[in-house]
Amino acid sequence: MAEKRKKKLGIKQRYSMLTRGLGWDTTYQPMDKVFPYDNYEGIIIHDWEGWEDPFRLTMDAYWKFQSEKEKKLYAVIDSFAQNNGHLGITDARYVNAIKLFLTGVSPLEYQAARGFTHVGRQFRGVGPRVACQMQAIDELRHVQTQVHSMSHYNKYFDGLHSAPHMHDRVWYLSVPKSFFDDARTAGPFEFLTSISFAFEYVLTNLLFVPFMSGAAFNGDMATVTFGFSAQSDEARHMTLGLEVIKFMLEQDERNIPIVQRWMDKWFWRGTRMLTLVAMMMDYMLPKRVMSWREAWDIYFTEAGGALFADLARYGIKPPKYADIATKEAEHLSHQAWHIFYNYTHAAAFHTWIPEKEELDWLSEKYPNTFDKYYRPRLEYLDKEEKAGRRFYNDTLPMLCQVCQIPMGFTDMDDPTTISFEVSEYKDDKYHTCSLGCKDIFDYEPEKYVQAWLPVHQIYQGNCGGAEVPDVLKWYNFNLGADNMEYKGSPDQKLWDEWQAHRKKA
Amino acid sequence: MSYELTIEPIGEVIEVEEGQTILDACLRAGIYIPYQCNHGLCSTCKVDVVEGDVDIGDASPFALMDFERDDGKVLACVCTLESDVVIEADIEEDDDAEYLPICDYTGTVSEITDLTSDVKKIIISLDEEIEFQAGQYIQLNIPGVDGPRAFSIANSPDKADHVELHVRLVPEGKGTSYLHGKLAEGDALSFSAPYGHFFVRKSQNKPMIFIAGGTGLSSPKAMIDELLADGYGQKLTLFHGVRSKADLYYQDYFTALAEKHDSFAYIPALSDKKDGDDWDGETGFVHEAAERFFDGSFAGHQAYLCGPPPMIEASIRALMKGRLFENDIYCEKFLSKADGTGDKRSPLFKRI
Repeated sequence: MAEKRKKKLGIKQRYSMLTRGLGWDTTYQPMDKVFPYDNYEGIIIHDWEGWEDPFRLTMDAYWKFQSEKEKKLYAVIDSFAQNNGHLGITDARYVNAIKLFLTGVSPLEYQAARGFTHVGRQFRGVGPRVACQMQAIDELRHVQTQVHSMSHYNKYFDGLHSAPHMHDRVWYLSVPKSFFDDARTAGPFEFLTSISFAFEYVLTNLLFVPFMSGAAFNGDMATVTFGFSAQSDEARHMTLGLEVIKFMLEQDERNIPIVQRWMDKWFWRGTRMLTLVAMMMDYMLPKRVMSWREAWDIYFTEAGGALFADLARYGIKPPKYADIATKEAEHLSHQAWHIFYNYTHAAAFHTWIPEKEELDWLSEKYPNTFDKYYRPRLEYLDKEEKAGRRFYNDTLPMLCQVCQIPMGFTDMDDPTTISFEVSEYKDDKYHTCSLGCKDIFDYEPEKYVQAWLPVHQIYQGNCGGAEVPDVLKWYNFNLGADNMEYKGSPDQKLWDEWQAHRKKA
Repeated sequence: MSYELTIEPIGEVIEVEEGQTILDACLRAGIYIPYQCNHGLCSTCKVDVVEGDVDIGDASPFALMDFERDDGKVLACVCTLESDVVIEADIEEDDDAEYLPICDYTGTVSEITDLTSDVKKIIISLDEEIEFQAGQYIQLNIPGVDGPRAFSIANSPDKADHVELHVRLVPEGKGTSYLHGKLAEGDALSFSAPYGHFFVRKSQNKPMIFIAGGTGLSSPKAMIDELLADGYGQKLTLFHGVRSKADLYYQDYFTALAEKHDSFAYIPALSDKKDGDDWDGETGFVHEAAERFFDGSFAGHQAYLCGPPPMIEASIRALMKGRLFENDIYCEKFLSKADGTGDKRSPLFKRI
């Protein structure tokens, strides 16, 4: 027989002993006035104590952990800089993925810090409030360490000098920016559904992981190390995403349709934003990790499938239009790269026609679509370029009113027909790229008619001037260096010189 | 070569194979340690090593800090054992768990009775008394069969001189074929016990719902016998689902029990009633019978589910639709050796 053991408090009990009593009900003012936002979305909470702390970390321990992570990360960043780590990457084309990350994704970390700071004030329950406040600090750390990790490339390569400025102004960066603006201007529960659940849990493996494994495959150790450092925080963020969903669904059954609508909306907005990642994975990494199609199958169809099978127990259905998104996985990256190839004179990174063996890789990974629809077009553009007629599109594209992506995506069953939808609101017509975006618009038209659409703004004269170079200057672009075709760019010239030196040595 | 791993604060002891991670061993033993990435990157599965030697494995320096390594912390998903080890993990202590030690028992088969055409009741009289919690199971060694087979104990723990098992014949199942075809009264058998976390949470003092499918009746029978004998003050409701009248057993026993105790209700349900069945009771799936009985609303109860995986899943959905959630649902899935480890799941639920 085992001897009688002395009872020890479990970690959960210890945490609650340490943190209990940190909140109180206000008496000078009614709670509803102090916390005006946590019930206006229609989410009904009967018992805030029903919130289970998704992680049990005291502030004291938190600082200790984060400071050691910082020490290690900065040691790697320093040694990367001292050893000229940029010379060890596979190819200078890789840096364009970094440019996209720094201008498109890193500012989202800052947006997340703002969002969590806001909702960290708005929940009357102490548990979610503390969780959000800690995440706000994490996000601030992430944006800071990302900027520091990648700033080394700014010494040598173009397009990395004005990320926050560009994020607020440049046409394609309005895609991720408007995603977060939409989330931050929603109520606190919708914010957590969009960011903690849809973004950090369901889609993170399709956003963050491809960039980090792309970095690992392409010799970018500074970014890889940043990735590890952030991933140890992400686990907490993902758990928060799951907890908030369970909390809402278990508190009241009237919450179920609201949560379902948010899942439908944020799944669709998320997949639209991931277009940028799809293109990065299939076209921008000199050494590829896996195709977008493969990533989608593993991380959404399989992992997401298991999640939604579990959520079905609550009466939650898989996101609306998930079937269309899965069809799109065959097309998205190719169509997106084509859009950027058209408009690379107005982008802060370079595009190019993939090398022959890269085209062969795409043919192999996309046997149903690439040779039929996309390879001939790329080969034609290649021929044109070699004949001195590199194609740039001089007109401005129409943007989707919701996701703000140029309306160049096709009908998935008919990849030669452009897809678009039309809604009418107060006698004006609004165009969206898909049924998913149309649904979002139609449910809250008053929100989306206010969208700051870059192309509209240019035509209205709000973006530096009437000519393309005026707009690009307003974007803070160094014309002829940050933008245009990769072939012949200063980036390529510098890289080729380094390679020549290395051969000589 | 294998080592013993003791998991505090629950005091559970499990075997860990050489090269097997702590997390893998715990999950296979039914002990849930919170985890996420499962490859040393996220730190969700961090545990304290209190005693013994371990190999911390490929833990990321950002997921397991140097000062934590010095303090004896490891990541269970990549840590392997190099001796017998005691860990402390983030596991909620269960007020109703007795943490009984697992022992080896020997006994003699004293009764074999046909309960239905394919279910036998087997009683093993023990050489020494057994201590277990109602709902737990044994790992029975069957002559000529590799590896033990799990069977729930159907009698209440106060009858400590024997164990009663309900054994359904699994077509082409080696173990159950032996028990049905070759085992005879007077044979000697050995087993180890008690196993499992399927026992009643009396301390929460809630009315209980038992949903049993087929021979999944055994654990609920032990639980109900004990609760009624102890005078548990809350309502108990047993639903027993079988295919047809011929598959139903212990009907008289539970009908008599329900007549004797006002706090106990018994609702058998036939999912596939045959034309000749003399039956005016519930028909359809057992979870549907439960939904009708409780008018679709289960909030405030505790539910104990025992039976084949599809019955468990359907019952969980019915209960959750009726606003009863993971914290109040306990289940014991009956898997035969051929069922394997089951479907891929998300980390949304821990126990169900």
